[in-house]
Amino acid sequence: MAAAAKRSARQEPPQIVKGLRRTGRALAVPARSVLLAFVVGAVIVAVTGGDPFKAYQALACGGFGLFCFGGEPSVLQLANTLVVVTPLIMAGIAVALPFRAGMFNIGAEGQLIMGAIAATTVGIHFAGWPAFVLLPFVLLAGALGGAVWGGIVGVLKAVTGAHEVVTTIMLNFVAQWFLRFLIIGGPLQLPGGSSKSSPIGTSAQLATLVPHNNQLFLGLPGAVYRAHTGLFVALAAAAVFAFLLWRTSLGYEIRAVGQSQRAARYGGISVRKTLVTSMLIAGAFAGLAGAVQIAGVDHNLTDQYFTDTTGFDAIAVALLGLNSAVGIILSAILFGALHAGGSVMQSDAGVSGNLVYVLQALILFSIAANFLRGFKLRLPSPGRVPETPAADAMASAVAQEADIELAGDDKDTA
Amino acid sequence: MSFFSDILRLIGTPDLWHASLQYAALLLLPALGGVISERSGVVNIAMEGMMLTGAFFAVAVDLAVHNVFIAVLGAMIAGGLMASIHAVVSIRYRADQIVSGVAINIFAAGITVFLLNRFYGLADVGQVASSNALPNWNVPLLGQIPFLGRVFFQQNVMVYVAIIVLVLTQVVLFRTRLGLRLRSVGEHPQAADTAGINVYVLRYGAVITSGLLSGLAGAFLSIGIANTFVPGMTDGRGYIALAAMIFGKWTPIGAFIATLIFGFGQAIYDANSSIHISPYLLSMTPYLLTLVVLAAVVRRSSPPAADGIPYVPGAE
Repeated sequence: MAAAAKRSARQEPPQIVKGLRRTGRALAVPARSVLLAFVVGAVIVAVTGGDPFKAYQALACGGFGLFCFGGEPSVLQLANTLVVVTPLIMAGIAVALPFRAGMFNIGAEGQLIMGAIAATTVGIHFAGWPAFVLLPFVLLAGALGGAVWGGIVGVLKAVTGAHEVVTTIMLNFVAQWFLRFLIIGGPLQLPGGSSKSSPIGTSAQLATLVPHNNQLFLGLPGAVYRAHTGLFVALAAAAVFAFLLWRTSLGYEIRAVGQSQRAARYGGISVRKTLVTSMLIAGAFAGLAGAVQIAGVDHNLTDQYFTDTTGFDAIAVALLGLNSAVGIILSAILFGALHAGGSVMQSDAGVSGNLVYVLQALILFSIAANFLRGFKLRLPSPGRVPETPAADAMASAVAQEADIELAGDDKDTA
Repeated sequence: MSFFSDILRLIGTPDLWHASLQYAALLLLPALGGVISERSGVVNIAMEGMMLTGAFFAVAVDLAVHNVFIAVLGAMIAGGLMASIHAVVSIRYRADQIVSGVAINIFAAGITVFLLNRFYGLADVGQVASSNALPNWNVPLLGQIPFLGRVFFQQNVMVYVAIIVLVLTQVVLFRTRLGLRLRSVGEHPQAADTAGINVYVLRYGAVITSGLLSGLAGAFLSIGIANTFVPGMTDGRGYIALAAMIFGKWTPIGAFIATLIFGFGQAIYDANSSIHISPYLLSMTPYLLTLVVLAAVVRRSSPPAADGIPYVPGAE
């Protein structure tokens, strides 16, 4: 016994190596999924007569400011990417948190729209207030608007058992039509304008990262850089999400309910309360994303929000980010870059920017199905029964993550 | 009050009922697809994407070969192919079926516009000549009946097709051995497997059928109603079909009744110029109705027991 313990202690790699290995294993599934998506995407481009290398070069230029051979200003491309990344992080959290509780929030889009509506309403009506009061109020209103929309889903699920996938889809449409009602001939419409609301007061706006004055920044007028301080709100939201999930009893309850509702109930956790709370908080994050979008970039509601897909893109963000805070930030950067780079790809390489959605779908397929798992493990190890599928609509990504961790633990203790 | 008097006046016109039935048929095809797929135990929220793909390929094929039959066939094959991705990912790879459905919808939205830009540039696809579109068929004699003839017997051929598919689905699902097997696979695949039923084959068949029907509905929309393709033209109809399926408690007849209600709403919306209410508020009603139904009668409307659960032989 003692000898064995000593031997295993000797063979035990240092903590940092173990940590790196574990990170590597956790990243393996997302990395393979992204790689596979890009390979299939390249095939699609090539088959339809395009040049995949040129397409991806333009995508990298538009997304990250890399390989910009056409002389496009790199920093501007990065700034555009950050504009997209900012709401994606918060909306990603709005999808990830319910995932952790075993629920699938397809309603981040509707929650985001309701948040944007609430934020705009407050920003217009209290435009005269000083910024240090109004700005927090605007963000809070957005979070509340989203929380109400998410809360409805949670309550319906807890009280009647209505499946959240269906209720969120329905609420997305209700929110979209409500928005149309408000800004097309409705109470929020800009007098004399069409399909847009009045702008929010200047004191309700988030500052931009580059001051919008008449000075040049890297050779371009400062006003072209739209990246804004909402990015810090998003990063703070990610920190709050991580803290909530891993350092609070609510986070423990959410994870417990997500693992097994029955076990959580035996453990004295109110499953219903946890479901409702997690949807409320998730809605608040999505609503915050809408508020930040209004306060940071758009400053009014426009018909862009009719076709906005941030809340759906957030599903890919959360899944690729394995529902963890750091993962969400990383995958939001990836998807933000893809979306921001799409237009550059269209103009520079002549490949439709909609390839980005194809790539996003391929990543989703790949991460959900884990097509390439055979690359590493040809056969499931003997004696290990294939995991019993969970009855609820839990993300397979969560299961995969757990799987990876378990596999890692097995090896570490062996 | 003028809203209600407007509605009352509209109800007296056969055109409103004609349009209601047409929109109901458009929703019915994907809704029946959803019923078939979910009865076999595979959750399908991808009707929207499969319909959109069908709508695109119907127009693309029609413009290329100028033949409406081949165009409809192309749309069905395109829908079926999208469905088979969903089938492989969720049956063979046991992926989360909702993630896969979301991915199909995103994929469809992306690939249709990608191909549109590739083959037609940034311009429009162009209009499908009405001689190559899905025609209306005035049933002889019956079409002459006042009021009812206009409502029931002067419809697009696809409306009659949808009704036939409805009857077929109802009969096959509840009156044949195949239907019994399909339902047993959706309720208790382990037991079905033990009884010698091939769970995978039935599930693949059901999911692909849902794609064929959704593709057909897409063709109806693009070369039967609009005669062109516009990006995102399905505009949530696949999701309303999903709602209709749930509304109808996963039965063909129930789904049909739900699509009639939603179709009526759409027809009212189309006649909005003569109604004094925001059409946007009116557009919310199918979704709100579904929420109310889910909240009120959910205990009596539960999905098939194994809906959404991948089948793993030997696992309980």
